[in-house]
Amino acid sequence: MSKLILERLSAQFGDAVLETSTAFGDDVAVVTRAAWRGAAEFIKTDPQCLCDYFVDLSCVDRCDPNVDDLDMDDRFEVYVIAYSLKHKHRVRLKTRVSGASPTLPTLTSVWAGADWMEREAFDMFGVRFVGHPDLRRILMYDEFEGHPLRKDYPANRAQPLVPYREGTFDKLGPFLQDEGMPLNRSVTLDDRVDEH
Amino acid sequence: MEPVDLDLEESALDLPSEPMTLNMGPSHPAMHGTIRMVLKLDGETVSDLDVQPGYLHRAFEKMCERGTWAQVFPYTDRLNYVSPLLNNVGYAMAVEKLLGVTVPRKGQLFRVILGELSRMSDHLTCNSAMAMELGAFTPFLWLMKAREWIWEACEEQTGARLTHSFFRVGGAAFPPTAKFIPQVRAILPKILEVVAEGEALLLKNRIFLDRTQGVGVLDRDLAVSLGASGPVLRSTGVDYDVRKDKPYLTYDEVDFEVPVGEDGDTYDRFMCRFEEIRQSIRIVEQSIALMEKIPAGSPDDAVSITDPRIVLPPKSEVYSTIEGTINHFKLIMEGVDVPAGEVYQYTEGGNGELGFFLVSRGGGTPWRVRVRGPSFFSLQASKSMIKGGMLADIIPTFGSVNMIGGECDR
Amino acid sequence: MPTFKLDERDIPFEKGDTIIMAAWRQGIEIPHYCWHPGLSIAANCRMCLVEIVPGPNQRAMMLDILKWDAAKNDYVVDRKPKLQPACQMQVAEGMVVKSDSSPFVRDARAHVQEFLLANHPVDCPICDQAGECKLQDYWMSESGRSKRMRDEPVHKPKAVPFGDKIVYDAERCIACTRCIRTCDELAGDHMLDLRERGNKAEVVLAPGRALEGDYQLMVEHVCPVGALTSSHFRFKARVWTLKETPSVCTGCATGCTTWVDVDPREQRAYRLRPRDNAAVNKFWMCDDGMMTYAGQHERRVTRAAVGREGGRTRSALDVAITRAAEALKGVKGDHVAVVLSAQHSTEDNFVAVELAKALNGRLYLSAKPAWRDDKILRNADQNPNRSGAVAVASGASVGTLKDLIAAVNASTVNAVIALGGHVDTDPNTLSGLGQLPLVLLASHETDLGAQASVILPAATSYECEGSFVNAKGLPQGFKRALRPQGDAAPGWELLSRLGRAMGLDLTYTRFKDVRAALHARVALAHPDHTPAPALSEAPAAATTTA
Repeated sequence: MSKLILERLSAQFGDAVLETSTAFGDDVAVVTRAAWRGAAEFIKTDPQCLCDYFVDLSCVDRCDPNVDDLDMDDRFEVYVIAYSLKHKHRVRLKTRVSGASPTLPTLTSVWAGADWMEREAFDMFGVRFVGHPDLRRILMYDEFEGHPLRKDYPANRAQPLVPYREGTFDKLGPFLQDEGMPLNRSVTLDDRVDEH
Repeated sequence: MEPVDLDLEESALDLPSEPMTLNMGPSHPAMHGTIRMVLKLDGETVSDLDVQPGYLHRAFEKMCERGTWAQVFPYTDRLNYVSPLLNNVGYAMAVEKLLGVTVPRKGQLFRVILGELSRMSDHLTCNSAMAMELGAFTPFLWLMKAREWIWEACEEQTGARLTHSFFRVGGAAFPPTAKFIPQVRAILPKILEVVAEGEALLLKNRIFLDRTQGVGVLDRDLAVSLGASGPVLRSTGVDYDVRKDKPYLTYDEVDFEVPVGEDGDTYDRFMCRFEEIRQSIRIVEQSIALMEKIPAGSPDDAVSITDPRIVLPPKSEVYSTIEGTINHFKLIMEGVDVPAGEVYQYTEGGNGELGFFLVSRGGGTPWRVRVRGPSFFSLQASKSMIKGGMLADIIPTFGSVNMIGGECDR
Repeated sequence: MPTFKLDERDIPFEKGDTIIMAAWRQGIEIPHYCWHPGLSIAANCRMCLVEIVPGPNQRAMMLDILKWDAAKNDYVVDRKPKLQPACQMQVAEGMVVKSDSSPFVRDARAHVQEFLLANHPVDCPICDQAGECKLQDYWMSESGRSKRMRDEPVHKPKAVPFGDKIVYDAERCIACTRCIRTCDELAGDHMLDLRERGNKAEVVLAPGRALEGDYQLMVEHVCPVGALTSSHFRFKARVWTLKETPSVCTGCATGCTTWVDVDPREQRAYRLRPRDNAAVNKFWMCDDGMMTYAGQHERRVTRAAVGREGGRTRSALDVAITRAAEALKGVKGDHVAVVLSAQHSTEDNFVAVELAKALNGRLYLSAKPAWRDDKILRNADQNPNRSGAVAVASGASVGTLKDLIAAVNASTVNAVIALGGHVDTDPNTLSGLGQLPLVLLASHETDLGAQASVILPAATSYECEGSFVNAKGLPQGFKRALRPQGDAAPGWELLSRLGRAMGLDLTYTRFKDVRAALHARVALAHPDHTPAPALSEAPAAATTTA
């Protein structure tokens, strides 16, 4: 594995690259929150990096509730993996956000695939991606309380029953009030059967 | 009898001019698995849609954080449950990477053979189901027959038809049975034949071609940016296949090609899968030959490593010696002690890049297991395939994406 | 401090230290069975053998051996260094010791392990030690080999009772003699002995003796394998399902630090273990202290109740608190007695004192009566926190329960708010209290409970965080191991809710705030800030050589 991307990143962002490492053949760079978006754009567009293929984006909760403070400053580690189809190299870019206010700029404008992955990270960890066009839960339902992959979420917690939905929670909701008969037919088949 | 519609006024048959919202799923007979699409229809054209996964979410990643490393295997079976052995391999390799161990050569070839059989079963299922949803029931039955042969072979080897849980950290549950290799040899030409028959039934069928060609087109650049992989990506002309781009196991020793499409439409995805079945057969044939070249009794001639800190002892020792009991006890109760670290290990799964991101803090339990399920990424891409198309085209398009709920919703 | 080298690491040591002790102080464990930091040296298990690299002018001590050569299919003559037991070898300045880094040492450990397991029964699945057994741990980390002996193992007595509390299995025993030394050196009574030699060796009761006294359970505690099991824990739980929480023994004023092992699924404590603490109990606890966990679940008060005995009805907690506040409303502040408890945490007592101050009430103290003490660990005072309860009063006079009864009879006390409710006087003299409004916050059924007009369920020391101050004045904290049962809540919380219901300014809602206020107002060391006693203070016993 070439360390080219790590070198390019360090040269471009200097101190904003907190650490770089190579383990098990993976190149890893940790950047500051402020440099997150810029670094992602850089590894995608820089001609020598050109990591145009979006591999994955997710999150790790680094807090052990028995030991650490839940509000610790570097509680959630968000990572994105990107791959270059041309240069055939990949990099894992990471940043850490605090447990007290986990917010991070969105990468949806860099890779379209970040859309659902950020929604999932929000759903599972409660990391809020600022500027995301449609940040809502993806795997859990809207009424779910808490973020299940956080370490302080007990695996056996029971969720409250969801009451019958009156309104709509979705971007494109289920049937609206005037949609009982979809095709506007004024005569139903039943009426015609009665005539015989 | 007069046609009933003569009774109707002409205006009553007009299609509504207002856009209509239609719920498709989460439990719709023409949808693969439980998934919901909320469609905004303008006539029969899908003007917008929202794809809502999550109905099969079973907290895979959360459960992994509660058990030992070995207890994750049965869960991985239930990710892509049409090709469970590929998931087993992907996860086992990720843990082995953290442990710094390599499986003996025979074990690697064994993984390739079983993995490719799984891939064939995955592609056969996808293509046959898709054709069936377009009304072609005969190809479905024929291809299912071929899948049945594969499953019989897997059953002979692993004892299970669907959820095998066969591979282990450090190798496999046991070496190839006496019948397994001959059985695989026997079914390979038969599968080829069935694939050719299936193609013959479909590819000269005007209806099938009209309903798939130029339908559900995915743009190449968008596919790359979305992280689509496997046949969905390759149908757009990108020749990205983990087996070629970063060969693992013994894939660099066998000769095979990566079929790519041109248009990224439903037809290309369908054809990529059929062609990949042929390539998988080539891989299996070559791997069997390579396996037979391993000299008997050599260190290569084993499917598992022998380190008692990683691999369970034989049951006969567990029940009769204290050393075996201790070994079994420690591995089962405390788990394999995986050193602290994190790794992203990716393999080519049935639907594309299947990645396992593991974080260990030392000890017998994973700190974090993240699955990059290719279905999740393909499903995200399906929105752009369906949007702007016809309502009826959702069925073949969605069928060709091959969303597997277990892997997508985890 | 002088240092020596162990596996390329510089280890400081004190004069007279053995290799294993100096390493142990640094948190490095050299595998061992018979050595125990609190006991004398036996050097009989041979697991801690290490290689001592000869100095520049020293001749290496080498042994001639026959080594199997697989290529030649025959034995060949070879040499290897003579290894030394780390538990007996005293360290010298600049000594170079190889432990894990020496292939000879690793080989020796594997062989020792093979011998120890040669006659071991295949019974991990039914052994209480499984999961915390040194034989298992060291097989996994040091050996990993299967045995070569194909003979029938030696059979020995199984399930031999040593008194009421201990059961012995000779087949699992590795004859390390830790239990024998514990009897000799801790209890000072030679109750156990070793019989026979080699693979026939077994631990027996000394002739004419039975295992008795207050420290029997310690022989089970020191046993590195499953040979000695205690009858109260035997077959009750599997250790890997238990979760340990640091706690403090509630048995007496010594304040031995403990681990509470609870099953989180059942929310039940299954055993106590001594938590190493050089300042108080070193490695030990007495039997009555070890068994205090059982009492935590017996005769619990888990629901609030209103009314005197006979007409008492169960009630919701907030209703009971309102009723208590109403009953206390009409009473003049200085006619209210607030009874502290020597059984409750310093924090609970602190809020009780705050409540008394806000009311201008009088302070009394309830406690359990004295019990039998000894010169080892047991204190005559059966209460874990008398010092803490007195300390939070900050010099205000704290009367006894007898004083309270006298004050009630003299009508200078017209209402009582009591914590704990343990009685160290004759229960028959309490009847005067039955005429007054008496609000009792209790975790267990106590004698004062019979007189109470309102009972509020308090959490036990396993169910909330807090601290005790022991007889020597050392504050020691404990953590929450279990969820409070039923409606129970920590005493400080109930007291501040009661205070608020009475219109007083008691704002505590979080434990953190109580502790902060306590240490701001009372001259008492913070339990977390008390310098952690060096775990590895050289115990006196270790200097006597076996």
